[in-house]
Amino acid sequence: MIEKEKSDYTYKILFKPDFGFLNVQIPAGKTLKVEASSMASMDTNISMKTKMKGGLSRLLTGESIFINEFTAENGDGEINIAPGSPGDIEHLYLNGDIIYLQGSAFLASGVNVTTESKFQGLIKGFFSGQSMFLIKCSGTGDLWFNSYGGIIEIDVKGDYVVDTGYILAFTEGLNYEVTKVGGYKSLFFSGEGLVCRFQGQGKVWIQTRQIPPFASFLYPFRPVERTND
Amino acid sequence: MKVEILHRPTNSAAKCILGPNEEVTAEAGAMIAMSADTSITTSTYKKEGGGVLKALKRMLAGESFFLNHFQAGPRGGEVYLATTLLGDMMEFETRGETLIVQAGSYVASEKGVNIDVGWQGFKNLFSGESLFWLKISGQGKFILSSFGMIYPVEVNGAYVVDTGHIVAFEETLNFTIAKSAKGWISSFLSGEGLVCKFEGKGRIYCQSHNPNSFGYKLGPHLRPRR
Repeated sequence: MIEKEKSDYTYKILFKPDFGFLNVQIPAGKTLKVEASSMASMDTNISMKTKMKGGLSRLLTGESIFINEFTAENGDGEINIAPGSPGDIEHLYLNGDIIYLQGSAFLASGVNVTTESKFQGLIKGFFSGQSMFLIKCSGTGDLWFNSYGGIIEIDVKGDYVVDTGYILAFTEGLNYEVTKVGGYKSLFFSGEGLVCRFQGQGKVWIQTRQIPPFASFLYPFRPVERTND
Repeated sequence: MKVEILHRPTNSAAKCILGPNEEVTAEAGAMIAMSADTSITTSTYKKEGGGVLKALKRMLAGESFFLNHFQAGPRGGEVYLATTLLGDMMEFETRGETLIVQAGSYVASEKGVNIDVGWQGFKNLFSGESLFWLKISGQGKFILSSFGMIYPVEVNGAYVVDTGHIVAFEETLNFTIAKSAKGWISSFLSGEGLVCKFEGKGRIYCQSHNPNSFGYKLGPHLRPRR
């Protein structure tokens, strides 16, 4: 069972929900896994080691290939972790559970949480507009993930529909398929495109904003390149 | 329909809780998640808006404004709605009053609320601008969003608002489009461009930030498009 209160570390998620920022106290001799380039500040008791986790396929998930390991070597240490984009952070404790994360949602975890890329299948990956890979997190320990926007947790009992781009994480045991949202008219004009239909018992975490539509908003404001020919 | 606005004010999303078979209409693209037995139909601003061809024609005519109509299943359900830009959302209710809403601020409305895109009040003056306006009337709840925060202004007399900062205003107000300064040249040099001068008694809802200004701030720093 996934727990929320349990943790192997003393931690605080600061500045929620707009500027989620993770502060973790690492006991002497213990290690924390952190997404590469997310370390914002730390004390000098902590030393960093770069590990290639999940092999080359992590390149394809849109995640950087490296997860760094931070170990408190000379006594207890403190680390502050900042996700690349402003937004929310959520914490879970896995007791042998499996969670699937969207490509860029992984932030940090305990050492006994395994992260690996999982191919979604061509249809699901291609049509979801997201990367073809999910990050599969399993094992026992803490897991922190982050979003652009706020995080909403949804209890799925039976069926639930989520716009593909807003999926952040979901528990194993949920089946999902990518489908169109209504009739063909809706497919082209609803602005929703394709959705993910979850089935079973479990939890889905969604984010309230997405980076690609924000980038699309900015597109018309880009300067037009002059051609010299 | 019961509305809860979550993650205010920056990453706000609206959770619409619907009774059995209850309907909610939302701006195209706003739905982020929903109960699976919710049905969805798409139309132009009027539900009886005709077929795909008619919709396409409207889109080509530059009058595209697509709406999704969600209907909950027999046990009721929920629909989550969100916007592209960061900002707040607010729940409104009309009991026969009319509100003029900047189209980009419209998020959703109950079935009893009429949405009229045909309102031409500002159209000629704003040609070239991407702003267009909806006239909201009828009976029921609706949700509006803003880029930044929403602040209400009670007008009794006269008040001036930059067009990019208007979310909505009550129809009881008279308005004129004016230059921001006395002369045209200083109006444009001031960067304020056109402003809307309201007169009478009523309420205006303004947004703290202007999406276009933000776009123009960021645009020059992005790689040019070919």
